[in-house]
Amino acid sequence: MWKFSLRMAKDRVFIVAVSAFTILTVYPLLHIIYSVARNGLPVIMERGPTFFTGGMSEAGIGPAIAGTFLLVLLSSLIGLPIAFLVGVYAYEYPDSLIGRTTQALLQIMLEFPTVLVGVFVMDIIVLPMGTFSALAGAFALAIIMMPYVAVYTKEAMRQIPFTYREASFGLGVGRVKAIFRILVPLAKRGITTGILISMAKVAGETAPLLFTAGGLYESYPTSVTEPVGAIPLLIYTLIQSPSKDAHSMAWGASLVLLIFFLGVFIPIRRSLKVVRL
Amino acid sequence: MITKKTVFGLVIVAIILAAGAYACMSKESSKGLVSIRTTGATFPQYQIQKWIEIYLKEHPNVKIEYEGGGSGHGQEAFLQGLTHIGRTDPPVRESTWNQFKKTGDQPLQFPEVVGAVVVSYNVPGLNSLKLSKDALVGIFIGNIIYWDDPVLKELNPNANLPHKEIIVVHRSDSSGTTSIFTTYMSLINKTWKSRVGAGKTVEWPTDSMGRGLGGKGNPGVVTVLMQTPYSICYTELSFALEEGLSVAEIENAQGAFVKPTKNTIKAAVSAVSSHIPSPSEGYMEDLSQLLNAPGEDSYPIVAFTHLLVWKNLGGKHYSTKEAKAIKDFLFWILTDGQKEENLAPGYVGLPPEVAEMGLSAVNSIHE
Amino acid sequence: MYSRVADRFRLITSPAVFFVFILFCGMLAVYFSNAYPAIRREGVHLFLDNTWRAAEEPEEEYYGIAAAIWGSIYTSSIAILISMPLAISYSIFVVDCAPKRVKNVLIITSDVMAGLPTIIYGIWGVFVLVPFMKRYVMTPLYEHLHFIPLFSTPPISGFSYLSAGVLLAIMVTPFSSAIIREAYQMVPFRYREGAYALGLTRYEATKVLLGYIKPAIYSGLVLAFGRAIGETVAVSLVIGNSFNLTPSIFSPGYTISSLIANQFGNSFIYGHMRPVLYAAGLVLFLIGFLVNLAGMFILRRWKKNVEI
Repeated sequence: MWKFSLRMAKDRVFIVAVSAFTILTVYPLLHIIYSVARNGLPVIMERGPTFFTGGMSEAGIGPAIAGTFLLVLLSSLIGLPIAFLVGVYAYEYPDSLIGRTTQALLQIMLEFPTVLVGVFVMDIIVLPMGTFSALAGAFALAIIMMPYVAVYTKEAMRQIPFTYREASFGLGVGRVKAIFRILVPLAKRGITTGILISMAKVAGETAPLLFTAGGLYESYPTSVTEPVGAIPLLIYTLIQSPSKDAHSMAWGASLVLLIFFLGVFIPIRRSLKVVRL
Repeated sequence: MITKKTVFGLVIVAIILAAGAYACMSKESSKGLVSIRTTGATFPQYQIQKWIEIYLKEHPNVKIEYEGGGSGHGQEAFLQGLTHIGRTDPPVRESTWNQFKKTGDQPLQFPEVVGAVVVSYNVPGLNSLKLSKDALVGIFIGNIIYWDDPVLKELNPNANLPHKEIIVVHRSDSSGTTSIFTTYMSLINKTWKSRVGAGKTVEWPTDSMGRGLGGKGNPGVVTVLMQTPYSICYTELSFALEEGLSVAEIENAQGAFVKPTKNTIKAAVSAVSSHIPSPSEGYMEDLSQLLNAPGEDSYPIVAFTHLLVWKNLGGKHYSTKEAKAIKDFLFWILTDGQKEENLAPGYVGLPPEVAEMGLSAVNSIHE
Repeated sequence: MYSRVADRFRLITSPAVFFVFILFCGMLAVYFSNAYPAIRREGVHLFLDNTWRAAEEPEEEYYGIAAAIWGSIYTSSIAILISMPLAISYSIFVVDCAPKRVKNVLIITSDVMAGLPTIIYGIWGVFVLVPFMKRYVMTPLYEHLHFIPLFSTPPISGFSYLSAGVLLAIMVTPFSSAIIREAYQMVPFRYREGAYALGLTRYEATKVLLGYIKPAIYSGLVLAFGRAIGETVAVSLVIGNSFNLTPSIFSPGYTISSLIANQFGNSFIYGHMRPVLYAAGLVLFLIGFLVNLAGMFILRRWKKNVEI
């Protein structure tokens, strides 16, 4: 009897601890969403539409929003084609020397500190150009985006049953046609998911933009070779000011960023679970 | 195979493309728009921002982007061509000036406003603080450890000084404000001069004692001060006014204890005949000319803060539109901007002959 | 005929692959070449000393980034110390205890946390976490236990190794828990059946099963460490940015990434600061690289053993 209850007691404690720790793990997200909403909503309500369209002097973050869109668009244009091709290569030749090295390289790049990417791009683009620019920022973001898209592409293609490959080759379809015309469209959902998740992630990056984008918050960006602002970068700058106004603006901008991120990420993520071929 | 997911994905892509198109469209509608960028010292932050705001009202198509970063960053951004107008508190050093000239263009430096470095503190229950020269140095060099040190008690017999360690907040970035403050400290105390010296970045003795904190930019320092009880810092007067911080009375050259106000700053400026060299030889200016000024009412830590522009030889750094806008803006700063109603709290206008030097420089910019 | 067609595929995709290779090598080359002057000038003391003397005269400059290296390693260690029990518990709960709907919600929550923009963690950290930590955790601990060296610094502003470590733990747990969760799920059902058949309690059975996936746990730990060390924005906002080198967790400090983030903007006017920052970046890269390599290696070896 005595031994039995000690074991049961340990078991009880264990269950409680595990449950408690699990709640502790996910609770911060809830609290973060709550804090951002609670602090950001009043700011947006108060300032209305000018918050989204006005420049800094009008207490608005319009240029930052435009900047983020521009940067995401540009970095996708630069990074997606390359990443897609790399992902397909890694899928097709997983065991070749180049293939294995590529996969290892992708893993390394996935975990690369983002600030170092920014510093690198500053060295090779910003300084020679003589100015901060959307191009530089987009390039830095593209470098960060690439491993994600490549890995998602490869994994999505790997989900396709082997029978489709066999059938294509059995019919005499060449490798290029088989992969790009038959298999890739089959993996379309997984690949698109990967692309959208990577775009959402890159929209929230700050460190790579610190030394490349420059910041532009009074007027809307008009050219890719000029400095540009971004929402995360703006928030970072505003947090470090002592004025309460700057802090309110930071919360408001955070809410905008959060809504954008969750709005893209959650539906995409949910649909990923559903992908079954 | 148009599924819900495909539609959703297309919608997202469409939104992004639309936003991009909007950004390009605004390019069309903003044909008349000029974007100017100014980077550097946070010492004149509130003044520059006020000027930008007022100027924007009369010139809505000239968008002036304010960027901080400190005097060091301002000089560097100016050198690299990453900004149009650099801002630096201390005059640029000769070596840096030569680097500027190596770009093939002629740099111009001139003051735009006068400000004061104040000593601000955050001690609950303490509303006024007198600091003699020795006390000031003692605190920042680390010899005076507690707020209720006998030296401080003697200077402030009625004050509520607690037995807590003094936390010294300083700049973590390359700062003109630090330069002004440490130059003053070197001026009034030999031990400081040999041990710490002057410069945009120095090694603060209190850091190694565990009683030091760094903040980025004047805003950063003030943020840290406000969040850290029993701390003390040095910052520009406007920040103390803007955030309602307590400011110490400092002993001036005459031995009187003065609070930093518009009048005490003006007294310092008028007590000294400022010598501003030609703007094309800005490195020759002496940072310490307004420091420790004589006069009963003079506040001791007063300084000019400067703007850096290019003469734009051969259109090297500015397009015609930009050059025109820059000239116009700077001209306005040195004339209308110096009027009392356009000055921000904590700053004092330039003596007329100093403003003249700046105007001659601005007029010489090539379009 | 076939080889020509195969070549066409390679022709299309190889440029992309080579581009990535060149990019990566380029990054390393830029880092090494920019860092070299600093290493040549100061030698190994660059990494062992704790000084930061930036001066206008180039001869006067002297930099030692020991404080930043210490800070990076220390905060990441605190982070994984806190994160490990959380990640393991979470994985156990999701795989063993949770009903299906809750399981999905928990997994998506974890993924959202993994991808959440770090600046949002940062702003929450500065305005919510740090005041909370200072009032409810650090001050009581300091008042009662300040004789222990670990707690010996008075928590003045709340910005400290501990705050950074806790924030990092929250940010990094989703990464390690993803790996551990997947591995735990893969444990063959028969082991579970066997354990319960022998009459083990859930606690004892779980202990056995976790032992089975130990390499995955190590791998998760190591990958989390690598992630934590590279984090810049959130950490630089809550660590206090002070050149301290102390084990006291309430003290403000510096990490390599926040050093770079803060000082790079200034570095051009100081003749020798820029190479030092590149050298710091190199250290960061090396630590992260080695750590990730180790993690991947452990995981791969274990996966090979398990996938029969």
